[in-house]
Amino acid sequence: MDLNFTKEQENFQIEVRSFLNDNLEPQVVEKVKNGIPITKEDSERWHQKLNERGWLAGTWPKQYGGQEWDVVEKFIFEEECGSAGAPRIVPFGVGMLAPVLMKFGSQEQRDYWLPRMLTGEDWWCQGYSEPGSGSDLASLKTSAVRDGDHYIVNGQKTWTTFAQHANMIFCLVRTSNEGKPQEGISFILIDMNSPGIEVRPIITLDGSHEVNEIFFSDVKVPAKNLVGEENKGWTYAKYLLTHERTGNANVAVSKRKIQKLKKLADDAKKNEQPLSNDPMFASRLAQIEIDLQNLEITNLRTLASVENGEAPGAESSIIKILGSEIEQDIDNLTRKSLGKRAFVNEPDALSVGYNGAEVFPKAAAYASGKYFNHRKKSIYAGSNEIQKNIISKLMLNL
Amino acid sequence: MDFKPSPERQILFDTLKKYFENEYSLSDRNIAAHSDLGYSKKAWEAMRDLGILESLIDPELDGFGGTALDISTVFEALGRGLVVEPFLEVGILAAKVLSRGNDVQKSLVKKILENECLPILAHSETDTEYAKSFVETKLSVETDGSYKISGAKRMIKHAAEATHFLVTCRNTGDASSEEGISIACIPTDREGIKIDSFATIDGGRVSDLTFTNVGISSEELVGELGMSYSIVSHAIDTGILAICSEALGIMERIKELTLEYLKTRKQFGVPIGKFQAIQHRMAQLLVEIEQARSSVINATIYFDDETEREKTISAAKFSIGKIGTMVAEESIQLHGGMGMTWEYDLGHYAKRLVLIDHEFGDEDFHLQKYISL
Repeated sequence: MDLNFTKEQENFQIEVRSFLNDNLEPQVVEKVKNGIPITKEDSERWHQKLNERGWLAGTWPKQYGGQEWDVVEKFIFEEECGSAGAPRIVPFGVGMLAPVLMKFGSQEQRDYWLPRMLTGEDWWCQGYSEPGSGSDLASLKTSAVRDGDHYIVNGQKTWTTFAQHANMIFCLVRTSNEGKPQEGISFILIDMNSPGIEVRPIITLDGSHEVNEIFFSDVKVPAKNLVGEENKGWTYAKYLLTHERTGNANVAVSKRKIQKLKKLADDAKKNEQPLSNDPMFASRLAQIEIDLQNLEITNLRTLASVENGEAPGAESSIIKILGSEIEQDIDNLTRKSLGKRAFVNEPDALSVGYNGAEVFPKAAAYASGKYFNHRKKSIYAGSNEIQKNIISKLMLNL
Repeated sequence: MDFKPSPERQILFDTLKKYFENEYSLSDRNIAAHSDLGYSKKAWEAMRDLGILESLIDPELDGFGGTALDISTVFEALGRGLVVEPFLEVGILAAKVLSRGNDVQKSLVKKILENECLPILAHSETDTEYAKSFVETKLSVETDGSYKISGAKRMIKHAAEATHFLVTCRNTGDASSEEGISIACIPTDREGIKIDSFATIDGGRVSDLTFTNVGISSEELVGELGMSYSIVSHAIDTGILAICSEALGIMERIKELTLEYLKTRKQFGVPIGKFQAIQHRMAQLLVEIEQARSSVINATIYFDDETEREKTISAAKFSIGKIGTMVAEESIQLHGGMGMTWEYDLGHYAKRLVLIDHEFGDEDFHLQKYISL
C-alpha cells in the first residue's frame, strides 16, 4: 500500500497552489469561505483565468485544449481549489456535456461546441428532470418530433440550475413511445433563445434563485443538434450521470468548512467558556471529522481503482451519499454553533451596495440559508434513496 | 385517565385552526414575514380581535386565560398557522414580566390588549449563552438615586417596532449569577438606545440593541432592585412552553403535508407512499412526533410545580429540538425537490421548526441543564 503522491504529482500540487495564490480574487474567496453565493460574473472571470492557464477543462484531451489529467491530477486540482476557496467550475458544459460529445457526438459537434465551452461563449444548462419525472427519469414526456431538417420540441423541464444564465441547454426528449420508456429517449442540444422557450424562476426555501422551470412550445431545433443516434439518449444520459456523481466527495471543501467551524466555535462562548470546549459540541464535531477522514480514504480507494483501469460503478453512489451527508452535517453544526445569530439571513451582506447593519461573524449572513439550501444535496444528482437502489442492485445483487 | 382538552379549550383550538386555514394565507404571511416590518399589522389586529391575546393573559389583568394549558393550546394553533405576529414576544414574555410589576406597568398589559403599546423583553446578550441568568448589561446607581444602564442585547425579535423595552441588567454579581438582576421598563425613544435590525430566515425581524448610559428612574424598575431573576426566569419558562407547543402545531401540519404528498406523488407508476422504504421513514416521523407531544404534555402538567417545572421544561425543549430538526430534514427529503421551494408551504414550516431550537436554549443546552437539575 502506498498512499503518497509521486514526485510529479507533488510538483503539480505545488504548481496548482501557487496558481491559485496568484489568481484568486480575495473578495470572491471571502464569499466562498463564508458560504455566500457568488455571482455569474464571479464565475465567468474565474473560468477565464483558468482557461488562460489551460486548466478549465484539465481532463480533456490536448487536441481540444485540455491537459489529459488522470484521476489523481484531477483530484489534486479539485482538492487544492476546494481548500483555497476557489469558485467551483460550473460543470454543465465542461464537466457534463463535453464527455458525452467526445464519446457520442459527431466530429462537427465537437469542433463547434467544445471550444465555445472554454471561451465562455456558451453557458450550458441541463434539461433532465420534469415535473412528473424525477427519480423515475425514464418516464420523461417532453417530445421531439422530426419535421424535415428540424425537430419540434414540446414539454416542460424543471429544477434547471442556472437556466437564467444559460444560452444553451442539453435535453433528454422523447422521440418514440415504442418499447420500454428508456428506448424512446434522445439527447439534443437546444438554443435557449429559440422562439417558444420560456424560463420561469423557482425560488428555493432560503430565498435564492438557482433553479428554474423551462417551458417548450413548438420549439424548432435543427436536426444536426441531435447527439448520437435517435432513441439512444438514455445510454448517453447514464454515461453523463456517472460523470456527474464522481467528484461528489468534496473532501477539501468539507475540510475547509470544518476549519471555519472550529474558528467560529473558538470565538463563541457557552457557559462563559469557548464553545469548542463544550463536551457536547466537541463530540458532534469530532464525529464529523472522523466521518470525513474515513470518506477521504474511501474516496482515494475509489480513485485508485479507477487509476488501475476499473470503471467507477456503484462506488460513485457510496461517495455521493457520504459526500452529501457529511457536508450537510457540517452545515448543520455551523448553524448550531452560531446560536441565536442563526436567525439572521442577509445573503447580500458581503456584496457591494449592502447598506444594512454589519453582520458578525460574517459566516452568519447565510449560515441558516446555506443549511436549508444544502438539503438539496441529498436530493439532486439522483437522490440518496436512488443511490441506495443502485448499490442494492449492482453491489448487493438484491 | 383523560388526556383530552376541556371542551372550552377544544373549541378555542378548533376556532383558531379554522381561522388560520380560512383567513391567514401562507403566501400573504410569507410576504409580511420577510418585509421590512417582519409581520402584518393588519393580521395582528385581526387576530387580536379574535381574543388570542386575552386567552394568554390572566383574568386579573383583563384577560380570560393565561394558564399553562391555555398557552399550550393557543400556541399549537399558532404553530399550525405559522403565525409570525409577535404573540410570543408581547403576549407571553412582555406580559408575564409586566404582570409582576407596579400598577403603571400592570396597566401596560391592559394597553397591550387595547393595541396601545408593544413592549418587548430585551434579555438575551450573546449569541451562544442560553442561561436565563446570563446578564452583563450594567445597572449603575447615580448620586440622585436614579440609575443608568449600559450594555448590549442581541437577537431580539420584533424589537424595531417596540414601544417599550423591558431591559434586564445587573448591579451586582457575576455574569451568570441569579442575584443582582433587575428589569427596567423604558420607552424605546429614550436617549442612548441604538437598534440594528436584520432579516431572518424564518420570518420576522431581529435586532441587536446597544444601551449607552440610558437613564432610568426607580419607578421604572419591574420588581425590586437586583431581585428580578425569578420574574424573567418564569417568563422565559412560559416562553419555552409556548414555542414547544408551537413546534407541535408545526409538526402536525408537516405530517399532514408529507402524508398527502406520499399519497399523490407518483413515480415508477405508483404513489411513492407504496414503497416500504418510504413507509418506514414516515412511520418513524409519526412515532417521533407522538413523543414530542408527550414531552409537551408533561411540561404543561408540571408547569405550576416549582420543583419540577424547570426539569420538565428542559426535557420538552430538548425533545422538541432533537425531534424538530429530524422532522424538518426528513419531510424535505421525502418531498424531494418540492420540499425545497419557496412556493410550497413545507419549507416555511421546516425553517421555523429548526429555528425554534435556537431560541431559549438548544437541545444540547437543555440536555445539559436536565442533567444538572
